[in-house]
Amino acid sequence: MWRFLGTRLAMGALTIWITTILVTLLIHAVPGDPVQIMYAQSQGTTPEQIEEVRRSLGLDRPIPVQYAMFIERLLHGDLGNTIRGGQPVLDVIMQRLPNTLILACAAMFIAILIGVPIGFLAAYREGSVVDISLMVLAIAGISMPHFWLGLMLLFFFALELGWLPVSGSGPLNLILPALTLGLSNAAIFARLTRSSMIDVMSQDYVQTAFAKGLPKALVLRRHVLRAGLLPVVTMMGLQFAFMMGGTIVVENIFSWNGVGRMAVEAIFQRDYPIIQGFILTFSVVVVTVAIVIDALYAVLDPRIRRA
Amino acid sequence: MQTVTEPQTQRAPPGFWRRLVRSPSGLVGLSIVLLLVFCAAFADVLAPYSPTKMGAGGRFLPPGGKYLLGTDEFGRDMFSRILYGSRITLLIGAVAVGISLTVGMLVGMIAAFRRGWIEAILMRGTDVLFSFTETLIALSFVAVLGPSLQNAVIAVGVAGVPFYARTCYSAALVETSKPYFEASIAAGAGPARLVLTHLLPNVLPTMIVVATLGVSTAILAAAGLSFLGLGAQPPTSEWGYMLAGSRDYINRAPWLMTIPGLAIAVTVLGFNLLGDGLRTSLDPVERK
Amino acid sequence: MNALLSVRDLAVRIGTRPLVEGISFDLKAGEVLSVVGESGSGKSMTAKALMGLLPPAATATGRAEFDGADLLDADIAPPRGTGIGLIFQEPMTALTPVLTIGLQLTEALVSHEICDQKEARRRAAAMLDRVGIPQPEMRMRQFPHELSGGMRQRVVIAMMMLLGPRVLIADEPTTALDVTVQAQILDLLREIVAETGIGLILITHDMGVVAEMSDTVLVMKSGQAVEHGPVTRIFKSPEADYTRTLLDAVPRIDAATEQAETKQDVLLSVSDINKTFNGRGPHLFRRHGTRALDNVSLNVRMGETLALVGESGSGKTTLGRVIARLTEADSGKIQLNSLDLTACKGRRLRAARRQVQMIFQDPYASLDPRQTVGHTIAEPLIIHERLPRSERNERVRQLIEKVGLEADMARRYPHEFSGGQRQRIAIARAIAARPSLVIADEPTSALDVSVQARILDLLEEMKRGEELTMLFISHDLAVVRQIADRVAVMRHGKILELGSTTQIFAAPRHPYTRALIDVVPVPDPARKRGVRPALKGSYPAGPLVEASPGHWVAS
Repeated sequence: MWRFLGTRLAMGALTIWITTILVTLLIHAVPGDPVQIMYAQSQGTTPEQIEEVRRSLGLDRPIPVQYAMFIERLLHGDLGNTIRGGQPVLDVIMQRLPNTLILACAAMFIAILIGVPIGFLAAYREGSVVDISLMVLAIAGISMPHFWLGLMLLFFFALELGWLPVSGSGPLNLILPALTLGLSNAAIFARLTRSSMIDVMSQDYVQTAFAKGLPKALVLRRHVLRAGLLPVVTMMGLQFAFMMGGTIVVENIFSWNGVGRMAVEAIFQRDYPIIQGFILTFSVVVVTVAIVIDALYAVLDPRIRRA
Repeated sequence: MQTVTEPQTQRAPPGFWRRLVRSPSGLVGLSIVLLLVFCAAFADVLAPYSPTKMGAGGRFLPPGGKYLLGTDEFGRDMFSRILYGSRITLLIGAVAVGISLTVGMLVGMIAAFRRGWIEAILMRGTDVLFSFTETLIALSFVAVLGPSLQNAVIAVGVAGVPFYARTCYSAALVETSKPYFEASIAAGAGPARLVLTHLLPNVLPTMIVVATLGVSTAILAAAGLSFLGLGAQPPTSEWGYMLAGSRDYINRAPWLMTIPGLAIAVTVLGFNLLGDGLRTSLDPVERK
Repeated sequence: MNALLSVRDLAVRIGTRPLVEGISFDLKAGEVLSVVGESGSGKSMTAKALMGLLPPAATATGRAEFDGADLLDADIAPPRGTGIGLIFQEPMTALTPVLTIGLQLTEALVSHEICDQKEARRRAAAMLDRVGIPQPEMRMRQFPHELSGGMRQRVVIAMMMLLGPRVLIADEPTTALDVTVQAQILDLLREIVAETGIGLILITHDMGVVAEMSDTVLVMKSGQAVEHGPVTRIFKSPEADYTRTLLDAVPRIDAATEQAETKQDVLLSVSDINKTFNGRGPHLFRRHGTRALDNVSLNVRMGETLALVGESGSGKTTLGRVIARLTEADSGKIQLNSLDLTACKGRRLRAARRQVQMIFQDPYASLDPRQTVGHTIAEPLIIHERLPRSERNERVRQLIEKVGLEADMARRYPHEFSGGQRQRIAIARAIAARPSLVIADEPTSALDVSVQARILDLLEEMKRGEELTMLFISHDLAVVRQIADRVAVMRHGKILELGSTTQIFAAPRHPYTRALIDVVPVPDPARKRGVRPALKGSYPAGPLVEASPGHWVAS
């Protein structure tokens, strides 16, 4: 197990390290002068001020030096200051990150809660009308753009019925965005669970369990479910990353004050320090969750736990 | 059946197209996709109005009557805009998947075929990019290149590369470890022969399925970027962008929201179904 | 005595398509009934029907009387576990990977309310001890992947026996195991039958196992019973043609060997080959390597068939692959005639490959599914001989006919052919460019006996006609005895004994060789043997020493 987790940890560290390099290079990939572009929208910036910014960002130095500076600042928890407002980027992100994480986790919870039972039921009734209708529903769910689903939910539940608030950041406000993100991912979980369960049900060990005369419910609960959920668990890390990506759109629809909305605004305003900070934060979150899921998997699967 | 020295000769399975059309998802998917291609190809003939002509019959006309799907906030005909939008959508899907597929297959095949340190570097790199997630890669690209439809398509295409590379790599790895491939090596086949006559034809079916399903993902991703304002810019009749514009009139003219959304959903559904159908019909082994 | 289980006119259908028809037999207490047949004979379906474990689409008709009730009656719950137990072929997949051995052993006892959890654990430990698993308490806390294949099969047997069934159905219980392990499992099953007086239905394709184990035999073919009777009668005077063909096709380890005169010219000389497989993964976390080949040296003489024999993990396949340069050895030298194969690289290696061709085990994966059979056979010719297309096609036609297929099959694709036909095509490809050495890696292991017999005949024929030298890799000693001129016995990456086929089979010198030959079931009920001692303790594994002319034994 430690070997397995060690490999995963090393991969995660490598990913984050490469992110820091890419983030440093990002600003140079911008066509034209990044500082000029950043300040193009604000008037009355003097050339002296621009030079000052260039120096403070280290853009007048060679790239390796810039990278070293970036890392040094990073180790001190300094991601630079925003172009608009001059606040520390880390503060701006940390203020909003919890909102995004809450949204993603809530969506994940909904997706699993709906998707896994549906997938299990479909697998149990493989080939039946129930199975076919559920799978038609699932493929429709996968095909539904979540930004559209979001708008529709917004339209019906907030505007037409007036049950839920349109936007904001309270607990009630969480329902619609989490549902938007959760429902489209529930479809993915349903399909995944179904194929995994069908695979397990055809295994010899399930037949052996039946041959022992165990009641069906026990075979399903103990043998099928435990073995069949393992592939679902492995996919959870990837799904979470997917959710994080989804938050960017959903936050914008429901004006949810998270890092995704912040990032899109920053792209419009060419606020590169925020964009850099966002990319780095995003990858740290995704990598951390992936490692946690891998650890969970390692604990659940004896073949890894005891290897 | 032919006379043979041993029994159990299997009957030749029905042809690929027959199998595709016989599977319900393949048939529905293929029909949707063909309909879309038809709409895109003949948009200028089919569209009753210009998609950009404003205010002719009035703004916010509901669907039905003279304007089949109503008009938008500038009085443009929604039906015509949707028709022209299919062109853009298919183009986005094709170009983005083209980028992902070409680069991804190149990386995957080289990694699987060359092995050793080339394999290690390529695949570790792919793993890192893969864990970045497609959304982040696409967003970073747009952040650097600036919002435009062209950049969004490139971003989505590039963002898909790690997935295609991984899939191609594992499919190729399976093939290279099969005895028929080794028999060919043992027969003295050179790299060109191994790749072109054995590896490519056997990896291609998998990649065709992946690419078909990938068109869905690419369309969704690009529409998402346009929805955020990071892709298509006015006055393009891009569905995601149209959807974004509908938000301000959601009470007054809900059809501005439902119609483009439905168009995207049906398109994506079509490619998803076609992909599922292809998966079963291209692979005779999975057919039971 | 009355029959425990009495089956009349059992039939299984999917829709209107019959899979099994008209099966009738009686099973008495303490009796072993073998159901024997080749793949597709419906023998496994019969077992599943009796257990009520048919796939949902299949329906069973007829009567199967057990304990006063009809097993095929859908309204009555089948006495699974407590009445009839079932053991599957593949011990690696018969236990749920995520549950402990202990839980899987005890859960049915608890669920059937035979006893409570504590008592169940006690009984389970006792049963594990009975089936020959040391340290049962420790084993019960382990997971299936921590046990070897043979151990797992013992666990499955224990699991079924714990419930006290009166009939046990074993579906190819030893097919996936090595011969030495197979012998132990068969011994165990025999003891259990003798001790408990249960009826055992043994489903198998192996006539040796049938002869060794059974009292009565039911021969099946294409879903129908071909012949049914006492084992001695079936083997001595089979009535059905099919039974006779089946028996004739079985290679006999006790057959007389005709000694072909061996030429002394060495074609292939392998010296001091070492190969260690590394675990995959980043360096820091890499597993320790396993040593597949340990200083192996070997000569293959012109025109002979040399067999490499051993159980799984012996390194026989690795050695074949190293010689074919499909796997790179860590050290050592391979010399073919005057050509140093190990020194060849790139273009020279590709040209040299013409000399050594391979035939693989899996007939389904060894042909490119997207190339016509004709193209597959022509490939070596395309690579090595610049022939005009018409001449090449002619050569392919000749090759196809030579391996017993029809020339117009060249345009077809592999999926249109049966396993045996595919193996013929693979043979045609192997001999197409007239190599000097063909390496056949378990070429008949995936085939039914009757097909195997014909493929072996074909190889024999090719060898004579084409003057082929062959390295024949196999785990099946009976096959080896039939086809080989000389035999090398391998274990754990080393050659333990090397000699002519007569020397190895008539006068084996190494204890491992003796054990290996001794455990092979002989298809002759008259030669039923008692419990055999397993090979225990250490054995000589040092350098080979010539014990008698041409007979080398590890010292």
